[in-house]
Amino acid sequence: MRSLATACWLYGLLLATIVSGVRGSTETEPDFMSVRKNVTREYKSEKKIPTEKYFHESSFHYHYDGRFANETLPESEVIPHLSALVQTYFSTMNAIGAETWIMHGTLLAWWWNQKIFPWDNDLDVQISEATIHFLAEYYNMTEHHFDLPDVDGGRAYMLDINPNYVVKSEQDTMNKIDARWIDMSSGLFIDITAVRKDENKRKNGHPEALTCKDKHHYEESDIFPLRDSTFEGVAVKIPYAYTWLLEEEYGPKALTQTTFSGHTFNGATKIWESTKRKLKRFLRQGWRGDDLPVRTSDLNPIIET
Amino acid sequence: MVPRDPDAMGVQSDADDDFELSESPPFYAAHRSQSRPLIHSARNARQSRPGGSYNAASRSLDDTKPPRWIEMSRSVVSAPRFRRYVLICLGLFLVGWVSWRMLLYPRLQERSLLLHSLDPSTKTEAGGWFGTNVMPQFDDIVHIRTLDPELVPSGSAEVEADSSSRKRLIFVGDVHGCKAELEELLEKVSFKPNSGDHLILTGDLINKGPDSTGVVDLVRGYSASCVRGNHEDRILLVRRELVKTNTLATPEDGEESYLSSREVRERALARSLSDEQAKWLSSCPVILDVGPVPGIGQVVVVHAGLVPGVELEKQDPSSVMTMRTIDLNTHVPSPKKKGMNWAKMFDKHQSLLYSNLESSAEDPLSGTMTVVYGHDASSSLSVRTFTKGLDTGCVKGGKLTALVVEDGGKQNIVQVKCKDYLKEK
Repeated sequence: MRSLATACWLYGLLLATIVSGVRGSTETEPDFMSVRKNVTREYKSEKKIPTEKYFHESSFHYHYDGRFANETLPESEVIPHLSALVQTYFSTMNAIGAETWIMHGTLLAWWWNQKIFPWDNDLDVQISEATIHFLAEYYNMTEHHFDLPDVDGGRAYMLDINPNYVVKSEQDTMNKIDARWIDMSSGLFIDITAVRKDENKRKNGHPEALTCKDKHHYEESDIFPLRDSTFEGVAVKIPYAYTWLLEEEYGPKALTQTTFSGHTFNGATKIWESTKRKLKRFLRQGWRGDDLPVRTSDLNPIIET
Repeated sequence: MVPRDPDAMGVQSDADDDFELSESPPFYAAHRSQSRPLIHSARNARQSRPGGSYNAASRSLDDTKPPRWIEMSRSVVSAPRFRRYVLICLGLFLVGWVSWRMLLYPRLQERSLLLHSLDPSTKTEAGGWFGTNVMPQFDDIVHIRTLDPELVPSGSAEVEADSSSRKRLIFVGDVHGCKAELEELLEKVSFKPNSGDHLILTGDLINKGPDSTGVVDLVRGYSASCVRGNHEDRILLVRRELVKTNTLATPEDGEESYLSSREVRERALARSLSDEQAKWLSSCPVILDVGPVPGIGQVVVVHAGLVPGVELEKQDPSSVMTMRTIDLNTHVPSPKKKGMNWAKMFDKHQSLLYSNLESSAEDPLSGTMTVVYGHDASSSLSVRTFTKGLDTGCVKGGKLTALVVEDGGKQNIVQVKCKDYLKEK
């Protein structure tokens, strides 16, 4: 009991220092809140539908960015890399104060045990329209360095905004993903999709209609106000009606079925157990306080002078 | 199809009308002489009426002279008693069929569906039931709280009404800012907060109605207990966001132009709550465990509902605040209206448990759980043995309902009428 309490305390302290460290370095810079006034406005859509795709999948695997890798990771390495992706992404967005939340398969994984599914190889997050404009304006193509436990030299991550984010139309089928948070060491990434007001539906008597370019539609009251929870040990935002959203997207069985993709959910340990031993060990240990990545680069927005 | 003389038809129906009008009942004539065809013994007002189109029509009837057996059967059919019997039989059959189709059959069907759904052997068939995941934790949401046992009524019904040891629990459904109605209801149950009465609200105290903050102050003054409703949940989350973004005191410039009208209303309400009011509301748990109440068993208060068979600690908070129906296969709760009502399933689950305990336990009721809830105004007052739905749509002109539990487990429903506050807007 005591060791657990100490671990929690240490973890809390560590998190506090990370957050305050990041906050401290950005105090004089514009954070999301201070520029909120500029970004909470009506956004006009670019009318011309792009003819080119911005984010290309690599030739070897559709969940790797070919600009940063030539091959997939060994299977046992994928989950630790994804875990670090989520941790670094949310710690960065939380520090900026950007509005972002987990969705789709990642939300379902959160629902089960607040950990990534061991068979996952991608992660989905959404951001508000104001946030994508803000990130595009101040943080596009920024690199972020983090120290990671057991990783020599740490890892660098890049925020890459699809320039076609200004095209709101669903017809832009080649640019459904609005941004990526990329692990520059492995090419793995998080898909970031912006959620926008559905102007057409709103004109036709749906005053709260939201839409994404990947053709998902929502009601404002199902997503907002966002809830605060944790995922892979970091603070994340969760859409308001999470159970209902999951039920609608995946059906009730997804919330109850304890066997999936060669894994079984262990009711006692609350972990999706696979037959592969290495992965099992990592999942059982899970993250610990000192496992969390620590930012080593400054969090500087790009301000054109 | 045989073409029929339209005149003859007309006469037939007119004659029928006249049967009803004639003063002496026609079936007496049928008794008097049975050898003649019944039609001749029928006394008819038409026959005494002189002239007119009736005569002409009756002549045309005589002219056709149908065969005897047809005449016989026609006379039997047209005999009032026969018709009456046929009508009665038809009526009885219809009533029977309708009550089977609309009442009995659906009940039986529902019963077997519920029994099947709650049968533990179907769990593997379904691949698992709701509630196996790690319950997510949320900042600022109190999941469960236990009521001070001192406030719970005692087992003996002998306590005098005006004695100082008398205790009552007064559960009230969704108030939605209807302060006047709440005051009226409390007066009607002669609520005495300082002499053994304790007020418990089933959530949704605020929003929609005329005086949300007034209701919060009123019940805070009575040291009432409450649970977190979906409206408290939303407004408190919105308020937290406003505090974080430093826009609680002063709204953002032109925020009304880009926010939906619902969000504008929610923000206005969130801003109207004082820090103390918000703090009190956020201390309301998702689940209030009243504990064992003599004569009833364990009593639990939630805003919307509970999934049967899942421990209180593992109930999904979002679902507890919003559920209406439940999936029969997987027991996954849902806010949608179409489907099996969660309370029906919960009640069935508990009555099965009760009948199991009846044979083994001394006090089988103590092993059961009764849920007091609100939220589902569409199905109005729905009181079952183990589920007590108290939302009767006060804010939209329905009623405000209280469930009064006294010493010895005696339960009473008290209601007051409400003004329609949604119509005014």
